[in-house]
Amino acid sequence: MPLRFRLSDCTGCKLCQLACSAVHDGVFNPEKARLKMTHEYNSNGIKIRSSHCIMCGKCEETCTTGGIKSNGRWMVVENDKCTGCEACVEVCPTNILYLDAENNPIICDLCDGDPECIKWCPKDVITLWEKEPKK
Amino acid sequence: MSSKINSEVSSFFGKMLVVDLTSGKIKDKQLPREWVDLYTGQKGLGSRILMEDFDVETDPLSPDNRIILTTGIMTGTIVSCSAKLAMTTKSPQTGTISDGSVGGHIGAELKYAGYDAVMITGKAPELSYLHIDPDTREIHSIPEFKGLGTFDTEDKLKVLTGDDKLKVLAIGPGGENLVPFSCVSSERYRQLGRGGMGAVMGSKNLKAITIRGWLDVAVADIKKCMKISMAAHIKDGVIDPENEIYTLGTSCLVDYSQESGLLPTRNFSEGRFPEYQNINGESFKTVRLNKKACFSCGIACGNYVKDGDAVVEGPEFETIALCGSSIGVGSRADIIRMNAVCDDLGIDTISAGGTIAYMMEATEKGLHNFGIHFGEAEKAYKYMEDISFRRGIGEEASRGSKWLAEKYGGDDYAINVKGMELPGYDPRGSWGMGIAYVSAPRGGCHLTAYPVGEEAWGTLDPFTFEGKGKLVADMQNSQFVKFSMGVCDFWPIDDATIGSLYEVTVGGEWPAEKVYTVGERIFNLQRMFNVMLGFDRREDTLPGRFYKEILKEGPPKDHAMTKEAFDNAMNEYYSYRGWDDIGRPTIEKLKSLGIEEKLISAYAEKLGF
Repeated sequence: MPLRFRLSDCTGCKLCQLACSAVHDGVFNPEKARLKMTHEYNSNGIKIRSSHCIMCGKCEETCTTGGIKSNGRWMVVENDKCTGCEACVEVCPTNILYLDAENNPIICDLCDGDPECIKWCPKDVITLWEKEPKK
Repeated sequence: MSSKINSEVSSFFGKMLVVDLTSGKIKDKQLPREWVDLYTGQKGLGSRILMEDFDVETDPLSPDNRIILTTGIMTGTIVSCSAKLAMTTKSPQTGTISDGSVGGHIGAELKYAGYDAVMITGKAPELSYLHIDPDTREIHSIPEFKGLGTFDTEDKLKVLTGDDKLKVLAIGPGGENLVPFSCVSSERYRQLGRGGMGAVMGSKNLKAITIRGWLDVAVADIKKCMKISMAAHIKDGVIDPENEIYTLGTSCLVDYSQESGLLPTRNFSEGRFPEYQNINGESFKTVRLNKKACFSCGIACGNYVKDGDAVVEGPEFETIALCGSSIGVGSRADIIRMNAVCDDLGIDTISAGGTIAYMMEATEKGLHNFGIHFGEAEKAYKYMEDISFRRGIGEEASRGSKWLAEKYGGDDYAINVKGMELPGYDPRGSWGMGIAYVSAPRGGCHLTAYPVGEEAWGTLDPFTFEGKGKLVADMQNSQFVKFSMGVCDFWPIDDATIGSLYEVTVGGEWPAEKVYTVGERIFNLQRMFNVMLGFDRREDTLPGRFYKEILKEGPPKDHAMTKEAFDNAMNEYYSYRGWDDIGRPTIEKLKSLGIEEKLISAYAEKLGF
């Protein structure tokens, strides 16, 4: 059940990233967010990209210790099992998964099913994709 | 997340980077907590830092002038529209204190780099850029960048550093060539437009400032910060999808100004432009590619537009008025092209348009043949290039309308205050704007107070000065604290909400009255700077045209704004401010505002009080 973005309406304000870091880390820091939006000017319009967990399951497949598993709606990380090998980081196709300062994998947990980013997006760009994710 | 105010945690770090370009020395300096309590951030803090042991007589283009960058108090947090970055300096255009703010993302980037402020002095031996991130603060020579436009400068710096996330402040040829109204650009289309900030950077051989940050910004109470922010965003229409600043952007003001008969037309000789529908908000909307917001902004005023080959983010209302109707140009594509060339070559669209409008009128009135007439867009575009490079006609034109009128005559048609060309509201259609223009510390500026909203588009009578001195002063005080908090003009936030947001970000107790006093304190601080330089009532004047000519169409028709009535209004304004009759803050007033004794003593000594 990944997040879905209507990119054409994204204005690049990063309120989603600020909300994400606030609820997960207790600070404002868009670099720590579990989703990232980028905007780039070109002569045909602004190229807008989102980087977020698409529930592809590649991190789960790659993890040798079973430290990352899907609960069917989002990826769940068990920090105790993590060895900090970064295999999940390397395989992540959207480059959104990262290890924090304590070497724990950081990935979107949909705020336990009630994503804060959706509440803060001023242009209603973000919604939940209700379809079953591809395996 | 904490639910109690934590006075140990604050979105104000108290940290300033101090850079001397002459010696290449760079160091961190602790900012007094007292300064942020007295003057908050951005405009207020920048003014205070500038005035610390600073000789106000300093030549603006000398190495001793200072460039102060300051973030807002709430920059980097989730508070909407709070990420603007201010630059404060002594202006080469007006000789006054001058500050401007730029949107985009660079303000937040500086905060995430760990700094509230940067002070730059000196002059680099050759063209250079300053880089700031949490790990490195360095000056690099880039002589090969000489003559590059701001767009190329930004792109090439990203390539040079290998970091496409870099945020950049850059000058173009306008700044390098010390044009008194040259600007500083950021993220291509956002500018520190007014007062000649570009020339101050140019005089220091500072082509660009690049910033990257990734540090945390913590606040006193993050849970309350989010709760109050969300409620205020909804209450004040920040995220309202029908907000015209979002649906059209500032170009929505073309229709309002036309209707109210105050749209500068042919150098303010008229207040209505027959071709306004070609260049209004709806027209630009038809060529819009995208909407664009600054960091943390829920509104998104920005419009990325393309008409034919002409591309720009904008144009803002002021550009449409000064590079459109005021020079008799009613073509959307021409305005976009002029906007883009000014942004790229690094000159202010308002002063460029205002100066060219004077040249057009002077030519048509036979005062001097500048070789350009109203409506000649192609030639105006070329003059903008010439101004930026100070070549040919541009050498003299780059000095602005006031200088040109002093040489060639037509003082009444040089539409400026203190040497800074006026923005897009004819004061004869909103008399309060006249008071706002002349009392703005940085010269002819529409941002210190916006009575036009209450007069021409609200419930107040636009054609009387009755009560307007008080109205403008109150608005200025509120605007000054709002900007000092780092909040954008487009959020109609009240002092009580500012106070509650201050409490949950920086901490402390901030009732609305205390917030208001901060604004009044900063306004007086800036006035002190100017008064110490000899500025007083004599410079607080409007161009003669506004007293001598009556607009012939629309609501302002038949309303004569006399010099006598204006002078009486200024008496009321100075009196309400607690200033003397020539517009100088009294010692008693400054003391009552809590301005530091050290600054008041310097002021008293300079004035012989």
